[in-house]
Amino acid sequence: MRRQVFVRGTGAYTPLGETWRATADVLATGATAIRPIAVFDATGFPCTVAAAIPEPLLEEDRRLPFARRAAREAWEMAGVRCEPERIGVFVGAESGRGRFATVLGLARAARSSSGDFDHARFGREARVFAERIDESVLSPSGVASRLAAEIGARGPVETVSLACASGSAAIVEAARAIRLGLCDVALCGGVGADVDPLMVAGFGLLGILSARGVSCPFDVHRDGFVVGEGAAMLVLAAERGDAACELAGIGRSLDAHHLTAPDPEGDGAARAMEAALRDAEITAVDYVQAHGTSTPLNDRIEVAAIKRVLGAGAARASISSSKGALGHWVAGAGALGALYAWEAVTRGTVLPTAGLVTPDPACDLDHVIGRALTKDVHAALANAFAFGGANSCLVMRRCA
Amino acid sequence: MRVPVIAAAAISPWGTGWRGLGQVLAASAAMPGAPGVPAELPGVPTELPLASPKARKMMSRGACLAASCLGELLRGVAWRRAECGYFLGVGASGGSLEDVIALLAASIADGAFSLERFGDRGLAACNPLLAFQLMNNFTMCHGAILEGIGGPNAALFSRGAGTTAALIEAVHAIAGGDCEQAIAGGADCALHPVTRAELARDGFVARGLVPAEGAALVALGAAGPPGATVVPGAPGGGSSAAPPIAVIEGCAIASGDARPLADAIDEAVSRAREGETLGEVDLVVIAPWGPPVAAELRAWTGANAANAAVIDSSSLGDALAASPALAWVAALDLLAAGRARRALVLGAGTDGDVGAVVLSRGAA
Repeated sequence: MRRQVFVRGTGAYTPLGETWRATADVLATGATAIRPIAVFDATGFPCTVAAAIPEPLLEEDRRLPFARRAAREAWEMAGVRCEPERIGVFVGAESGRGRFATVLGLARAARSSSGDFDHARFGREARVFAERIDESVLSPSGVASRLAAEIGARGPVETVSLACASGSAAIVEAARAIRLGLCDVALCGGVGADVDPLMVAGFGLLGILSARGVSCPFDVHRDGFVVGEGAAMLVLAAERGDAACELAGIGRSLDAHHLTAPDPEGDGAARAMEAALRDAEITAVDYVQAHGTSTPLNDRIEVAAIKRVLGAGAARASISSSKGALGHWVAGAGALGALYAWEAVTRGTVLPTAGLVTPDPACDLDHVIGRALTKDVHAALANAFAFGGANSCLVMRRCA
Repeated sequence: MRVPVIAAAAISPWGTGWRGLGQVLAASAAMPGAPGVPAELPGVPTELPLASPKARKMMSRGACLAASCLGELLRGVAWRRAECGYFLGVGASGGSLEDVIALLAASIADGAFSLERFGDRGLAACNPLLAFQLMNNFTMCHGAILEGIGGPNAALFSRGAGTTAALIEAVHAIAGGDCEQAIAGGADCALHPVTRAELARDGFVARGLVPAEGAALVALGAAGPPGATVVPGAPGGGSSAAPPIAVIEGCAIASGDARPLADAIDEAVSRAREGETLGEVDLVVIAPWGPPVAAELRAWTGANAANAAVIDSSSLGDALAASPALAWVAALDLLAAGRARRALVLGAGTDGDVGAVVLSRGAA
């Protein structure tokens, strides 16, 4: 018989609050954290707004302080007692970055008088900049390793780098590890800290940011996403304790289609949703936390895939996206979506899609607009779809 | 849990292909750091017949290696690719520094860096596809798109043990019924200037680590129809009627945090054997990070598998996330060649974690 996986703790550190509880209370009002970028001068950038955490942090890499705070909240809420060897840590994260000045210094060190890359010069001069960056700053695995040390975990420690699906996929890995008996307790989730010039520039190069500076998933006027940042963490366990919610289903797939565009038929997304529902042995949910990036193509295709998977049940499921209020956390986005689903299942609070005013007729589902909806949610589906075509879906269900 | 290995592929400084790789390593006396061995191995050629020039421009070196290796693995293999799993140990993806320099040069105003110019002209001067080189999961996704791999997946960041975690995921994905076949391995490049600077700064180069690049993959699952058939003469494996190359008896990782490496090896091997003793092995392939760790792995082997031949994959240089997978493939070559019956592969990374894989000839 398969081991059940219970959600014992949740935590978040977001632009709207230092805890998940504080954040959820603000989200329920329909508030948004998206503001003009103040952490650097974004004049001339393709998008000049973001959902940023304004607090100055001393660390070179902001991923760790974000993740540490979210993890602490989740761990304290869980209150689990377990042998260190039976505790795992699974974190969705991409590579970190040093401070912008350090990165610029590295680039300058490599530039010859002709402007080309000069290996010899780089070797001589880059060292002084490289030495400013602690190993853990650049390594995606630095976050998971540090968190494991801080909670005393000696079980499996994994870092999943699947772009926008990283956080969700890390939760999948954690659930699998518990089911397989590789650990009994898992701290898992994701972190994104991408409100910096390099990432805003990088996403701008791709032409996928909102030129209007508005994140409004499923709205007829949507024109791209807005970068956000923060961390979301969960504690999963094989023992129920006082948990009210279980992670009942997990599913993953690859589009195998295109690096940025989703499969036009939504095939990969649909296969991941179907796998998660099949894994949970259900065919309907009361709420879908959509990936909903606010890009024209993604939202339309996701809605089509949801309809295909849920059939007539799609009309009965409420739908919302975190990205209207908190922007796109990239590696942390899927874990944030899991918290939205957990909130709906455990508290009956379906958080709204901020920014959504006029739903696109091509995205006609039961959107939660304005303020949170109070609803009896027995099961919820949380989607995460990544650049590159990796898809990861979770089903949260109320404990019997 | 025993899972058959039905095909393999590798790209390394030794060349493209897995047959003969283990035998070359077994015959090699030259170790990195020894006189006559270069401090850095040259890059290896890659073939990407399916990739358009635009796709190539979007690839980091690690992605290029992974995609090329995946093409090699699947050449001639008739699989239901849409359901096939793919689990890859990846490194930090490195973008082109030429692009970063161009971006920087266009961002200078009045002799000083201008953030405003950076956001405007700097972006215009840069390859618009640069971002695709920087995301770690694209090391996996480029190849998956080219080859149509659509099943459960994960790109696991690896500085050694993470690649074994990818293998563990693949094994469990098959055992758990998520997919009938899965591909697992690693791909990475230590020749990127920033990576080399990091390795130098952290003292690995001074301690004898030789930066290199490579990729290695294994195909796991049912050896025969309906899911997997291997065309006779295909580079990845043998004929459809042939038995699997080997069987994975077990695989596991263990944390090396704040304890002797030998203790972590003990735990990893015990987990791989699900609590049973290792039993007799006649081959141990080690994938260390430089000579000091190699010495510890050899010492453990001497104490725990004294009769086994020991092969050190670091003769191929250190290709970071690819190194453990190259070591598996070297072991597979020696098993397939009849040079060994049962092998233990040990990989250790900079984080001190250890991965252990037990392979043997025979049916699953």
